[in-house]
Amino acid sequence: MSSTTAQSGLARARRGVAPGGTGTAGGKRKSKLSAQATRTFFWLLLPSVVLLVLIHGYPLIYAAVQATHDGDLLQTGNFVGVQNFSTVLTSPAFWKAAQFTLWFTIVGVFGSWLVGLGLALLLRTKIPAGNTFKVLLLLPWVVPIVVSSTAWNWLVATPDSLIPALFRNLGLGTPLFLADPTLASITVMVFKVWVSFPFMMMMISAALASVDTTVYEAASMDGASPWQQFTQITLPLIARSTYISWILMTIFCVNDFPTIYLLTGGGPVNATTSLVVLAYRTVFQDFATGPGVAIAFLMTMTLVVISVILYRQIRKSSVE
Amino acid sequence: MNASSEARRSFSRRGFLGLTAAAASVPLLAACGGGSASQGGGGAGGTVKFWDMPWATPAYNDAAKSIAEGFSGANGSKASYQIIQWNNFYQTFSSAIASKTGPAVSTGGGFQAFQFEQQGQIAYADKVIDKLKANGQFDDFLPGVLDPFKSDKGYVAVPWQLDMRVFWYRKSLFEKANVALPTDWPSLLEAGKALKKVGAFGFTTGAGAGNNYANHSMIMMMVNNGGGVFNKDGELDLMNDRNVEAMEFVLELVSNGIVDPAAVSYTTDNMSAQWKDGKAGYGLFQVNVPQRVGDTSGDLLVADPIKGPHGDKATIVFPNNIMMYTNTPSQDASEEFLVYYLGQLKQLWQKKLMSALPVFKSITEMPEFADDPNNVKIVKDWQPIAKTFASQGSKLNANLAALDGGQALNQFSQTIITGKADAKTALQTFQSGLESVLKK
Repeated sequence: MSSTTAQSGLARARRGVAPGGTGTAGGKRKSKLSAQATRTFFWLLLPSVVLLVLIHGYPLIYAAVQATHDGDLLQTGNFVGVQNFSTVLTSPAFWKAAQFTLWFTIVGVFGSWLVGLGLALLLRTKIPAGNTFKVLLLLPWVVPIVVSSTAWNWLVATPDSLIPALFRNLGLGTPLFLADPTLASITVMVFKVWVSFPFMMMMISAALASVDTTVYEAASMDGASPWQQFTQITLPLIARSTYISWILMTIFCVNDFPTIYLLTGGGPVNATTSLVVLAYRTVFQDFATGPGVAIAFLMTMTLVVISVILYRQIRKSSVE
Repeated sequence: MNASSEARRSFSRRGFLGLTAAAASVPLLAACGGGSASQGGGGAGGTVKFWDMPWATPAYNDAAKSIAEGFSGANGSKASYQIIQWNNFYQTFSSAIASKTGPAVSTGGGFQAFQFEQQGQIAYADKVIDKLKANGQFDDFLPGVLDPFKSDKGYVAVPWQLDMRVFWYRKSLFEKANVALPTDWPSLLEAGKALKKVGAFGFTTGAGAGNNYANHSMIMMMVNNGGGVFNKDGELDLMNDRNVEAMEFVLELVSNGIVDPAAVSYTTDNMSAQWKDGKAGYGLFQVNVPQRVGDTSGDLLVADPIKGPHGDKATIVFPNNIMMYTNTPSQDASEEFLVYYLGQLKQLWQKKLMSALPVFKSITEMPEFADDPNNVKIVKDWQPIAKTFASQGSKLNANLAALDGGQALNQFSQTIITGKADAKTALQTFQSGLESVLKK
């Protein structure tokens, strides 16, 4: 079989076209709602809109007020314009936290995606006690973060904890996983991956389940190797789910307070202080509401930009 | 049309942006308030809402609830009891007070009363003090515990317990190391070196998540040397020679391995485990360490206060207090409740539920308290030399809240116990950090 035939088979498979099939048309259908239906639609939607405005709109506006004023949680002070933002943006602590947040997010998103992808693929095969295995794999996601962070603390915190003791017995010294700034950063990121991979695994498993297995048969008949099938069928067909999971995980990572705060409190010496931890400390420990909310605003704006970029990728992946 | 294209159509860009903005606004929502505002109970109908913190085990809160709900005022007023968790407590109080759903009376952060006084939310306790004078409880206060709460406008709160920091030691480790208990800084260094040889640490502390003991240890060493964060006029005074000398000494302890290198990440539980496992030989801790650690061997004992190089002796204390708020169904009922509650406090020590010192002499004399020689030693030797975070000054104020548990102090103590900077540089950074958050 020529490579051209194989490529053509893979291309058809990527489009979800079964052998001999013609694919789905996806025709566009315009429908006009009647005036009555429009009014009904409006009234049905109204309660949700009101709730959204109350739950999200009011706090956003209130936060915007706090970010542009001095004062504290109880009493909003004078209007200071963008001073809180300039205070934050000229603070080394902000940029250090931004840097850590970036790494935490990159490792959190791609680390959990890779582990989740590997396990989702593994779970497609028949393995002994597969269902039990699936349940066990979901545990890190299911267990409350306060419990898992305590468990991790027991595992690594003191020189006599299980993992440092293991290193010592292997003659590898006694690493202080939470006391050394670099090791603490790595530990927090690994913890995040551990907590998050089940979510990724579920997203990818769901995407894989919707893939018609006949496309693999078609590709196989056209001579595609398992690697070619993985890179040119599996990955493209789960691309939409992948991008959506990346968006969600990016938001989860940037906004993740408990994972970091419970394990290291942002230390040692701010080595694991992320932007959300910094915002929390600024508002609730230093009582500097304006700068703290300004940090939260900057985070939100960044997240929206990242999400838009990834959303464009989703649209691209949907266009055939 | 297949399911995929249908989903694509409904998943519009605008809808997606809306969802994204909503999800991304989580930190904003977190940052802009919204804590548990109303905690039930009412406030109308003569019910005094009393909010209390989890000061000890759940048994403490059960006992405190029972006391509070046993209140029956002269005009038929009652009291309700609500536990407020420490996490985000300032947010919880602030948002509740702002929405007029806050308590009439509460315990809380050590400097909380001063924070809310600035905003006109605190009802002064002068009439309560008058009532305590009339019923004899005023004369029962330990010396000096009431004065810090007197502002220019009146008493902002009434103390009810003293969260004291004292040095504890494990007797068997000192015997094993064959070294005497420290009486001053040089002997503390010597004892630390000897303890190290038997696998223990001579300056036990911790600065991990939620652990303030390293912060307290740093300030304690400053005041133990006659220094402190503020001068007598309440102005920031971190760079004084006594503070520099104190921090140079702590750095010497660090460089000699007398401070556990992992201490920077220790939670209070990690620190307690070090005490229980015989890794901690000597260090600053609160009252009732054996009970907290779970050691019934009688081997954990309160040490003597140590003398700084200039002859100073001091430790730090947090005079925790009960405050009243202007938003109350009846100020008379709030005052009546507070007097009643102070009168019932002895039950908490009788039941051995407290990890703090009482503020009343009569409670320190109760057998349930006085039978413990550690308690007696703390009252006799440590309480008279205890100073607040306001040292070298004596007046408490709202700024102390930003010092206590704030980013600047935490970063400073972590820097010191990791030995990452010299004393002057660390203090300078600490001073800059505090200057940026203290109200002028």
